[in-house]
Amino acid sequence: MPQNLTGRVRHIVISKGTEMLRIPTHALVFIEADGNYSNVYTLDGKSQMVSFQLGQLEDRIGDQLGEDGSRFIRLGRGYIINMDYVHLIDISRKRLVLSDCMNFYRELEPSREVLVKLKAYLDARIEDERQ
Amino acid sequence: MKDNKKEIRDDEFRVIGKADGRTDGEARRRNRLIGAVSLALVLLIGLFFMLRWPKGPAEEPEGGVFDPAPVPVQAPGDTLPLGHPAEGTFTERVDTVINDVHLALFIPHNAVPELTLGVPSGEGIILTAQAADVKAEDHKILGAFVLKGKPLAWGLSKKGYCAIIDGKITVGTSENSPLFEEATEKEGYFFRQYPLVDKGVLVENEHKNKTMRKGLCCRAGQVFVAVSMTDESFHDFSQALVDLGVEDAVYLVGGHRSGGWWTGEDGATRTFDPEARSGTYANETYIIWK
Repeated sequence: MPQNLTGRVRHIVISKGTEMLRIPTHALVFIEADGNYSNVYTLDGKSQMVSFQLGQLEDRIGDQLGEDGSRFIRLGRGYIINMDYVHLIDISRKRLVLSDCMNFYRELEPSREVLVKLKAYLDARIEDERQ
Repeated sequence: MKDNKKEIRDDEFRVIGKADGRTDGEARRRNRLIGAVSLALVLLIGLFFMLRWPKGPAEEPEGGVFDPAPVPVQAPGDTLPLGHPAEGTFTERVDTVINDVHLALFIPHNAVPELTLGVPSGEGIILTAQAADVKAEDHKILGAFVLKGKPLAWGLSKKGYCAIIDGKITVGTSENSPLFEEATEKEGYFFRQYPLVDKGVLVENEHKNKTMRKGLCCRAGQVFVAVSMTDESFHDFSQALVDLGVEDAVYLVGGHRSGGWWTGEDGATRTFDPEARSGTYANETYIIWK
C-alpha cells in the first residue's frame, strides 16, 4: 500500500463546492471520460461520477502525487488507468482488462494504437527493472 | 483548477506523474530535435577537421601478421534482407513498428507462390491471403485475373498488379502490363489490386477509412506479406512500407474479416486475425505459397 514519508496512506482528493471525494491511490483503478463528467472506478467495484473533465482530473493527479503519479496513465481521450491493475492487453482484439485478480474485473476498449504503446511501455519498464 | 491545456489524441498515451508531462508525440519531437542538433554538431566538427587536416599523400601501410581480414562492407543504399535464412518450408513472422504503425511481416521460406480461386485447400500451404477484390453485387473478380494461364477476368479496375510467372512474383503499377499476356502464355498467374508503393514512392489511394491493412511487398529481392496489427489508413500503411524500404507493393484484401493464414516454423497454423473468415463469396481469390 503506497504511503508517504509519515507512513500515512496517500489519497487523491477531488473536491468541488460542497462535495469531496477521497480515494487511496492504490484503490483508484481507472477513470472514464463521460463528456464534461468523469466516472471514477475504485477497487471495491463501485463507481462515482464527478463533475470534472478527464483532463482536469489528470492535472489533479499530477499536482497531488507528483512523480508518484507515474502509476497513472492517460490513454487517449477516454481513460486514465492505474497501471498496477493492467491484467490483459490484447492488441488484435482491442481489449484491455483491468483486474486485481480478486474482486475487480473490467474490460476497456481504447484504440489499438494506444494498446501498442501501452504494451511497449510496460515491456520497457520490465526491462528497466531487470537492469 | 487549471485550464485543460493538455490536449491528447485518441492514439496517444502519457504517464501522468512524469516530471516533464510530455505526450509521447511531444517526446518524439523533442528527441528528433536533440538528434538533429547532435548531428549538426558532429558534421560541424567533421568539417572543421577536414579543412584543417593536411592533405599530403598517405603512406601505404605495410601488411602485418595481425592485419585484419577484409570484411565485406555494406555499401550505402544496400538493403539487408528481412528475417533469417532458413532451410525448411515455413513462414517467418517479423514484427516491427514504423511511425507508430505495428507491422507484422510474413516471409515465406522455400515456397512457390500461385493463385487459387476459392478457399485454398490441401497440404503444404504455408502462407495465404486474399488477393483480388470481388464485387459485392455480382461476386465477380475485379480487374484482370489469370489462373494458371487461363484468363478469368479482364479490365483495369486498379493500377497495381501482381504477376507470377515461372514461380517468380513481379509486383508493379501500370495500366497496361505485358505480364498479363505472358501469364496467359506461360501458365502463370495475374491479378490487379490497389498500388501502395511504386518504385519506392508512396501511391495515394482515395479510401481514408482505417482498418487492418495487408500488402504484397517486394524489398531487396524478397517478397512478403505485410499486415498492419493496428487499424491504419491506406496512406499511413503505405508510408510505413516506404520507410521499411519496400520498393513495390500492392494491396491485398484487407479488413479484420478477410481470409488468410500462415504456418510458422513450429508447424502451427494461425489466421491473421481471429475474426478472419474465408469463403464468404464463391469467387474469392487467394495468393498462396506452398
